[in-house]
Amino acid sequence: MDRLGLDSLGALLGLPYTDTVVVAGALVLGVTSGVLGSFAVLRGRSLVGDAIAHSTLPGVCVAFLVLGTKEVAGLLAGAAVAGLVAALLMVAVERSRLRPDTAIGVVLSGFFSLGIVLLTHITAGGNAQQAGLESFLFGQAAGLLERDVAVMAAVGAAGVAAVVLLRRALAATLFDRAYAAAIGLPTRAMEIAVTAFLVAAVVIGVRLVGAILMVAMLAVPTVTARQLADRFPRVLVLAGIVGAVVGVTGALLATRGQLPTGPVVVLVGVVVALLAVVLAPGRGVLSRRLRLGRRRRTARRATALQDPASADPRTRRRLVAANLLTPEGILTVAGEAARAEVAEHLVLWRAWIDHGPQIRLRDAREPDPLDLAGTLDPEALAELRERAGLDGGAR
Amino acid sequence: MTADDLTIVLVAGLTATACGLLGPFLVLRRMALLADAVSHAVLPGIVAVWLIAETRAPVPVVAGAAAFAVLCVLGIDAVRATGLVASDAAIALVFPALFSLGVLGITRYASDIHLDLDSTIYGEIAFTPFDVVTVGGIDLARSGVVLAVVVLLNLVLVTALWKELRATTFDPHFGRVTGLRPRLLSRLLLVAVAITAVSAFEAVGAILVVTMLIVPAATAFLVTRSLAAMVAVAVAVGWVGAVAGHVLALTFDSSIAGAMGLVCTGCFLVALIASPRGAVARLLRARRRPAPAGP
Repeated sequence: MDRLGLDSLGALLGLPYTDTVVVAGALVLGVTSGVLGSFAVLRGRSLVGDAIAHSTLPGVCVAFLVLGTKEVAGLLAGAAVAGLVAALLMVAVERSRLRPDTAIGVVLSGFFSLGIVLLTHITAGGNAQQAGLESFLFGQAAGLLERDVAVMAAVGAAGVAAVVLLRRALAATLFDRAYAAAIGLPTRAMEIAVTAFLVAAVVIGVRLVGAILMVAMLAVPTVTARQLADRFPRVLVLAGIVGAVVGVTGALLATRGQLPTGPVVVLVGVVVALLAVVLAPGRGVLSRRLRLGRRRRTARRATALQDPASADPRTRRRLVAANLLTPEGILTVAGEAARAEVAEHLVLWRAWIDHGPQIRLRDAREPDPLDLAGTLDPEALAELRERAGLDGGAR
Repeated sequence: MTADDLTIVLVAGLTATACGLLGPFLVLRRMALLADAVSHAVLPGIVAVWLIAETRAPVPVVAGAAAFAVLCVLGIDAVRATGLVASDAAIALVFPALFSLGVLGITRYASDIHLDLDSTIYGEIAFTPFDVVTVGGIDLARSGVVLAVVVLLNLVLVTALWKELRATTFDPHFGRVTGLRPRLLSRLLLVAVAITAVSAFEAVGAILVVTMLIVPAATAFLVTRSLAAMVAVAVAVGWVGAVAGHVLALTFDSSIAGAMGLVCTGCFLVALIASPRGAVARLLRARRRPAPAGP
């Protein structure tokens, strides 16, 4: 039986069948948790998956008490119901003044305590079937069956399709509830629908990679995508892609190194997210630091040109290297020109601060205060120069 | 109530006090889930101690766990400080990574021995009376002594830096402007949480510590309007949980930690529904309010 075309995928990757199932599972889980997780992460509820995962314990216990056996479908249903109840309770708790993280923490603690109490009762009951109930939730990707991947893919596809179809309405509901309600969207129903998909993804994902690693699977794609994009639809698409790439890369590395899949996928994902935070163009830590350094150097150069004698040695060396300053500390001809330019810029800037509002701009764009001469339209620039006294006596 | 029961209640009460002193700050700083993060992030510490010293003795294990707990909170703080990642997302990145390292370490180097969190570091509160040390000729529960020291340290930290912690918790920018160094204070608080959590895990288990750090503080948040009152109520709710939870556990022959957690959660639910700004009050207000007049 080859419902998902896994044999051909396996042939493509040159992997044995069991490894192919794991890779496919990681791919599906990555895309699903990436897309659905973005709603949680962008709203400051990254750890909601942690609470849902912990909350499934009492559900599993109750399902076992009712059924009397460890039938997988029944226990999964119990876990899903408990997860959904927990997720809805979090929404209810947030209606008080409490913050989302506290709401998540309270629900996590309460449900897990309840789970432990139920578990001790089941253990004390002496039912031989109960052994291993608590580890039901903390699965291993190596034991993954093609059927599990198929179920995960179906749930994931439904969730992703719903998100794609309803993306505008969902964004309005989740980021500006009052507005969404005002334009007549069924806000509560949509919130519950998203929560339900998230719960389904977590319950299945927890079976594959475990509760704790599921937390990272939800957070990593969106944190990464958010560094690379500013618009919600783009973040959503990127999160799906990042989830897929991280899942497949991690799973392949794990099969190569004979290591457990979940931890390797998570470590790959966290490294990717941290790299994005450091290296993201324009926004990342590195690019911010470079920008700051550039601005600092420009400011130092301007000060040094005004007063070469008191410049710090590094700036002096830089000026000498640029042929603006002789090694003896006297400005060259080019240096004098640069100094005049800096001085004029300063005068213009002061004039802009003093008279800016009175100057009529010909186009709607606000000029860049650091480059007034380059961004003001010619008439406005002439007006500013006149007000600064630059075209009268100064030059 | 026997002497053993008294010991259990006292140890739980000390845990409640240590956690109640710090919990309100975590809740107000939106870092409530830090304890849960720490509870999982200690795994690589235990594995590292096993790899280096081949031991599961409590003292080195707790030291290794504490090292990684501190690493975890400082890592979260560093990721958060970039300003590019919210604190909840920073928590969600750092602790699963550390936990993954621990799991990999176990499968790679220590799969032949039994090494997991439950058996090495998470204590069981029911066993605390059996592990005694003799101090000045009197037998005392070891975890009780450890927790008493932790309570004392937290008390010193919170009282000595009360004004500073309060100012930076509610308004970090004001704190920075007045020269209070909010980053340093935040790190100090996080390290205190890490130390408290690890020493309490060893005595009473992870879930009770997580519960005691979050739920009493959340309850107090709902019923108080000043930080001092919030801390006092948080400690009190923790003690109610310790005493009533133990009675419940004895009556129904149930898990002690679980019952204590449930009592705390019960207190929270009562506060949520019946507090001056809770659900009931909101409903009453909505009923009393006249129908909105037309324009």
